[in-house]
Amino acid sequence: MTARARSLLLACALFGLARPALAQDSQFGIQGLGTPGRDESVASRSAGGALTPFDGASVLDDASLVDLPALSSTVALGTSYRQVEAPNNTNWLRTVRYPLFSVGGKLGHRLYIGGGFSTYLDRTYSVATRDSIMLRGVSEAFNDQVSSNGGVGDLRLTVATRFGPHVALGLGAHLLAGSTQELATRRFDDTLTYAVIRQTAQVRYDGFGISGGALVDLTSSLSIALFGRHDGRLDQYVGDTLTLRSDLPNTIGGAVRWVHERTTRVAASVVWRSWSQAAANAYNTLNWSVGVDLGDAKPLRFGVRGGQLPFGPGPGAPSEWGVSLGTGRKFAKGRGLLDFGIERLSRDGGGLHENVWTALIGMTVRP
Amino acid sequence: MRRAPWRLAAVGIVIAAACTQDVTAPGACPTFCPSAVLTVIDTVLAGAIIHDSAFGRPIGFVNPYNATSLLAANLPGVRDSRPIFRTARITTRMSISTTDTTTGAVTGVDSLYLRFTITRRDTATHNLRLSVFSLPITIDSTTALPDLAGSFAGTPVRTINIDTLVALPGRKNTVTGDSAVVDSINNRVTVLLSLDSSQAPFSLADSGQLAFGFRVDADAQPTIALGAFEAGLGPGITWFLKVDSLGVVAHRSQTPTTAFDSFVFTPAALPLDSTLAVGGVPSARSLLRVLFPRSLISDSSLLTRATLELIPALNPTGIAADSFGLVASAIVADFGAKTPLDLTHVDTTIIHVGVYDTVRVDITRILRYWAADTLAPTAIELFQVPEGADFAEIRFRPSADSTHRPRLRLTYSPHYPFGRP
Repeated sequence: MTARARSLLLACALFGLARPALAQDSQFGIQGLGTPGRDESVASRSAGGALTPFDGASVLDDASLVDLPALSSTVALGTSYRQVEAPNNTNWLRTVRYPLFSVGGKLGHRLYIGGGFSTYLDRTYSVATRDSIMLRGVSEAFNDQVSSNGGVGDLRLTVATRFGPHVALGLGAHLLAGSTQELATRRFDDTLTYAVIRQTAQVRYDGFGISGGALVDLTSSLSIALFGRHDGRLDQYVGDTLTLRSDLPNTIGGAVRWVHERTTRVAASVVWRSWSQAAANAYNTLNWSVGVDLGDAKPLRFGVRGGQLPFGPGPGAPSEWGVSLGTGRKFAKGRGLLDFGIERLSRDGGGLHENVWTALIGMTVRP
Repeated sequence: MRRAPWRLAAVGIVIAAACTQDVTAPGACPTFCPSAVLTVIDTVLAGAIIHDSAFGRPIGFVNPYNATSLLAANLPGVRDSRPIFRTARITTRMSISTTDTTTGAVTGVDSLYLRFTITRRDTATHNLRLSVFSLPITIDSTTALPDLAGSFAGTPVRTINIDTLVALPGRKNTVTGDSAVVDSINNRVTVLLSLDSSQAPFSLADSGQLAFGFRVDADAQPTIALGAFEAGLGPGITWFLKVDSLGVVAHRSQTPTTAFDSFVFTPAALPLDSTLAVGGVPSARSLLRVLFPRSLISDSSLLTRATLELIPALNPTGIAADSFGLVASAIVADFGAKTPLDLTHVDTTIIHVGVYDTVRVDITRILRYWAADTLAPTAIELFQVPEGADFAEIRFRPSADSTHRPRLRLTYSPHYPFGRP
């Protein structure tokens, strides 16, 4: 078996496992629209996300598509172990997600085109509660479980072009689509008298957004990225009934990158999103990150990030802080890349604390 | 590169092993739980039973002649019931050779065994005695107890003390030839009563047909049930016959089937009225048409409990031993008295004779079935189990009684507001 064949086989295996993209979820998103996804490749995420606006495999800045050296396809897999510390209990939860798939490359003289999907909002959770109720003069204890499995995906189509050697612009269209399988059950302790109540529904999501971005090389080693995005409304349907219409945020952000001798990359980014218009308990968010990518054949990546989550009980937005570390390997004469990363996040707000460990595997194929 | 396949395999294993998730956590409510919660409503629908009917008199769904039990009771002033049966004809010529088909005429009888099975007795019944009376072979389903007053007024063919017989070693009376077999698993006692030719004479004109009746006596609560032909436990006899074999007497036996069994009793069952009668002999049933609240219970999984509440019009009649099961069954189609039952969706409760209280039947299974199958007829038929084997009956207030009509009590969950945070 040739190296190319092996690469293609592994890529096919990963694609076969892939399903509508989801990201790591959070208890903070339960009362909101969900937990926003990370539209970052494993390589960028390992560097704290600071290099994302300059990464053609990520989807934050449409203009970054021009940095793809050839036709590329990238997938990411993340397994998260999340410790939820609530006032009265602590639990470890485990999730597996495929948060990103992208494909892109050069189409013409200066034209680049790309597409793929990433997580826009994750709505996977399961909440169990215990209580009792007076029924027919008798106190009946019960267990409730309300769960949701699924989320909103961001299906994008991006075009980008260069205007001279130092400036690139990109535009993207985003179809927000997805569904969640939702379940609410009540199981009384006295199962002989009271049958289990089990309600299910499939909630469908529908929305649209546009984005644009620019990359400017100020010097041979210093670049900046500017990007913005406008998402309209997110409609939620149960069957054919519109149950909720939410305004989605506008996004603006910028980043700066310094490159030294093609093997050292240092970047910082900041992103602001107007989530407060989305729901009653939502807040605008400002997220920042700083990251380093050292080396080429056997890179070492690390970074730090911080900011807020958009949904929480108040009075302010929940905070998030994290560090990440990663590396990668090239194989098949550089036509295949495997990236590995690990990320630790800490979230606080409203008396709840979350610690998240995420192991990341990414693969890029350049046939 | 030779190690590359192993690396790829390791990556695949990691991916496969990681493809599980556990996202269930105790809720930190209300702050970090979905804003909506499941609610449960308990409500009484007084007008849910919109029409009703009772059927089963004078011809019942089960009558004494096709019941699975033959009821015997001797409660002066309350009830007098006596099982009766008639045997089938026997063949009057029988084979006398083991090598050919030569037959000989039946000329007489040596003896016979009368066989019957006690399938139910009150634990308060002691010193249980059964008297066997010879009856005319003309008895049939139209025969009533007064018609047999003369036969029962005579001397019984035999009287046997069941408790004494069962207490004997081997449960066998070596003097009379009587014996008993006790089935402790099914709580049955089968009695073999030995009769001679004077007690049960063979009549060639009647082809050996015989008819007998039973009267029960005991120190207390003389009430029992005998197994009927319909249950495979009907009373019968075994003839030990004399057959003419070319001038020599040969001995042969025959066990004819039960041609008819029933029980006759007084007082007669009350006729139906405007109330909803269930049970008794002949057995009555009541059909309740239900206005199913489909707007509340649009899905079977929303319903957690449903109870049919019935208010008795009269105290359930009978004695304590007559407590019976009341079954509420879905139906296949509403054809009035001839409504076929859907016995895959039934719910049951016990009616205790002597207790006057609202009767509650849990019909969750039936209503969940109606919610799932919108074409199912929303009617319930009430009947007794075992049907036609118990004199006790109950009568409920009908839907026409505005203050005491049957009611439906539902405990259900309204639709959860999916699609909202």
